[in-house]
Amino acid sequence: MPKITIDNREIECRKGISVLQAALEAGWNIPHYCAHPGLRVVASCRLCLMEMRMPDPKTQEPTWSPKLVPACQTPVRDGQVVRFDSDRVRQNVKRCMEFFLLDHPLDCPVCDQAGECHLQDYSYRFGEAESRMVDEKLEKPKKDIGPRTLLYSDRCVLCTRCIRFTQEISGTHELCLVNRGTRNEIDVFPGKPLDNPLQGNVVDICPVGSLIDKDFLFKRRVWELESASSICPGCARGCFIRVDHCDGTVYRLKPRYNPKVNDWWICDEGRFGWKYVHDDKRITAPVLHRGHEKTTPKWEELPEILRYRFEEQMRKNGPDKVVAMLSPFMACEEAWLLIKFIREVAPQAALAMGPVSEDGENQHFPVGASGDAVRFTILKEKCPNRRGIELLIGAAGGKTLSFEEFVEKSAAGDFSAGWVVGGYPAEWVDKAAGKIAPKFELLVVQDIFPNALTDAATIILPSCAWVEREGSFVNSTGLIQPFERAISPPEGVKRDGQYLYEIAGLDGLYRAGRVRELMNATIEEFAAVFEAPPMPAHAH
Amino acid sequence: MAAYEPVLLRNKGVENSTALKVYESRGGYQALRKALKMNPEEVVEEVKRANLRGRGGAGFPAGVKWGFLPKDRTVTYLCVNSDESEPPTFSNRVLIEIDPHMLVEGTIITAYATRAQVAYIYMRVEFHEQFHILQKAIDEAYAAGYLGSKVLGSDFALECYIHRGAGAYVCGEETGLIESIEGKRGCPRIKPPFPAVEGLFYKPTVVNNVETLCNVPHIIERGADWFTGIGPQHSTGPKLFCISGPVNKPGCYEGAMDITVRDLIEREDMGGGMLPGKKVKGVLPGGVSVGILTADELDMKMDFQDPAKYGLLGLGTAAAVVIDQDTDMRSVLRNMARFYGTESCGQCTQCREGTAWMHTIARRIEADGGRIEDLDIIAETARSMGMMPGLSICGLSDGATYPLETIVKKFHSELEESIRAQSPTETDALAGAVGH
Repeated sequence: MPKITIDNREIECRKGISVLQAALEAGWNIPHYCAHPGLRVVASCRLCLMEMRMPDPKTQEPTWSPKLVPACQTPVRDGQVVRFDSDRVRQNVKRCMEFFLLDHPLDCPVCDQAGECHLQDYSYRFGEAESRMVDEKLEKPKKDIGPRTLLYSDRCVLCTRCIRFTQEISGTHELCLVNRGTRNEIDVFPGKPLDNPLQGNVVDICPVGSLIDKDFLFKRRVWELESASSICPGCARGCFIRVDHCDGTVYRLKPRYNPKVNDWWICDEGRFGWKYVHDDKRITAPVLHRGHEKTTPKWEELPEILRYRFEEQMRKNGPDKVVAMLSPFMACEEAWLLIKFIREVAPQAALAMGPVSEDGENQHFPVGASGDAVRFTILKEKCPNRRGIELLIGAAGGKTLSFEEFVEKSAAGDFSAGWVVGGYPAEWVDKAAGKIAPKFELLVVQDIFPNALTDAATIILPSCAWVEREGSFVNSTGLIQPFERAISPPEGVKRDGQYLYEIAGLDGLYRAGRVRELMNATIEEFAAVFEAPPMPAHAH
Repeated sequence: MAAYEPVLLRNKGVENSTALKVYESRGGYQALRKALKMNPEEVVEEVKRANLRGRGGAGFPAGVKWGFLPKDRTVTYLCVNSDESEPPTFSNRVLIEIDPHMLVEGTIITAYATRAQVAYIYMRVEFHEQFHILQKAIDEAYAAGYLGSKVLGSDFALECYIHRGAGAYVCGEETGLIESIEGKRGCPRIKPPFPAVEGLFYKPTVVNNVETLCNVPHIIERGADWFTGIGPQHSTGPKLFCISGPVNKPGCYEGAMDITVRDLIEREDMGGGMLPGKKVKGVLPGGVSVGILTADELDMKMDFQDPAKYGLLGLGTAAAVVIDQDTDMRSVLRNMARFYGTESCGQCTQCREGTAWMHTIARRIEADGGRIEDLDIIAETARSMGMMPGLSICGLSDGATYPLETIVKKFHSELEESIRAQSPTETDALAGAVGH
């Protein structure tokens, strides 16, 4: 690991990174706009200029070079000595901040970015309270550049991160620079809006309030939002995300850095895939059918009722007539608890895998890339935890079934008691599956939305969306990645993990980490989950 | 002083000088024949020895530049910079109009020396007539076997194309030019890598100015010693000077770099003195980007060293424009500021915003709305854009800095006087304006 000296402090840094990145990772808050670790270096904002010690051309004595150099463009070299803490560096930043604000409309009170804006932050730290600009500002237009995104050109600092994103990551090349000099504007080509599966990232990487997500526009001030670390359930890739929420409502999803999966990016499908969470058609209370009578049992009574009902079925129809269908939308911990319960009451119970939703083909980006050139992938497998459920079913042993086998055998009347978990964001019960309900004497269905199975179930258990739960998903490459809960479930709904914990006969509060410790006793994979290396927020 | 024998303009006034036959009859393409008998390294060495400094503005030694090419290269490109977009500069234009074959020959020899297989002559779009003249010369050179797959029957092959720009000043910057040839926006690239290592189409590339290359055949033909015998030691060889403004004979003249700005204006074989009734107030001696001289500073030598003593950026393009006593310096200031404001490519913050801001202020000063502190803002802005090296990706920003900073500095009292002479109402109104 190279050692470099910044402002008289020696640090060790990763090989192959820029001095800027090394400084940021070591905790310096160096102002920068154009630099982004995921994008090509353009060194155009000139904010991260630093002084560097170089051998004097005549005497070869190391001296501070008269030239300022961009830290983003300078790779780390062992023994390098640089400084940001100097009058010349400070003066440059100060003047740059004045330049950036010359034509800026200063509309922070109505700007979505306010509160997470690097123009605000840097102005506060390095700028002046008053501008010397007394002339009329150059006005630039607000542009509707795509179905989901607005461009406020007047707030733009022309860092070109967005352009480089469409060139280097999405490979769709929608954005470009038009005009010249101070009239420079980001724009799209006529008739070619910014509309690609990754376009939302340009809003994330915009350091100022220029690129704005229409979905979030004017919804909330960002300082009111709380964040939870989560995993996107949109596909089997398992991108790291952040759920921004407030007052029990999700407002937006943002990518979280994960060098093994998604780097700094997420796709729009995942980004906007949370809307079902707040759908008013959700099941919001447990339901118990007794003949034609429908009652709402108390949550406290449920563990006893369920255990009794399954034991009753065992006595009545024998030990091999019980089945549980697990869903690839369940967290590993929840699935483990359900398996624990089922195998306790019915050791010979069959375990089935729910349907694995697929859509189209895997999509690789930049468009047309393959092999090492691929920077981002959206998988066709549209559920987050098939691997995890398969792992748990495998570890549990005994009789296992595919979804098709489960439907077939259920329709043939092989089972009298079943527990079916849904939790899919969209309709998942197909025609064949919808017809199996009458074959069961006891059918417990745990789901988010009503469907043909919940309609015919003996007991309906409301399920929670992933933002209301905690646990872990195993992604397509086998990484076990934990996610936190962000918000409370709708009124009247208990978290799946909590009631499964109770049903499985455990006391106290469900905590995913606690359950993983129990799981680890028999399934060693769960000894540790994957957490991305910590990275200061301003380092990317 | 012995009479100067023209080298670059030796065919000026010769009838039909653009024709291959005429050029050949006056000794043309002999240098190429000589060069082909040498090996490329010897050609480079000869040019190095001649200390041929680039004529485009920066004055970097051409031979040294060629020496930066990596030894193990397979593909090399030569770009000839004929963007000539520096204001008051027209020496490339004159060279192409009078002697296009001299440029073609210089290009071929340079390509041979640098082992370039393709030469692109990047020509500003406003050169219409010159484009046709040069294209005809290239066609003739192909037909005569000076260009093509076997140059003069040797194993050396060279293709030569003219690439026409689209009218951007910044495309005269070597990497802006490269981007433009590649079909992109003319935005200068960050360095390193320098073009010699990674230039056009990311291959080793040499970029030289038209006038620089026109010197090459003469160096080869007459030898480096002849070349270094012309002019002072640090500024060797023949040089073209342009003079414009209210002088009797504006035009492009040739000489050694031992003349002064005064010579350029006054000498009978050059500017021929000021127009009747006109007096020098200031001179922008090297194109506009090097800064301004006052009437008291006309003894500056037009070489690569002296301009720095007068607070100027350098020799620049050695094209002087004279400003007379009747010109309002506020207009000069505004005119300069406007040029850089519209020509900045807009990549670097300081240059993009600084040039535009200075233009806005200069426009207001010219329109009788100036404040004394505006002069300080212009000077300070200029200093925070250039002057300190490394502030921006390319030299355009330095080029914008020098004229504005030096005008404000050297003509401060005049500008101040004009501002004080304004009608008070407007000044007062602005003095009260504060805020973002």
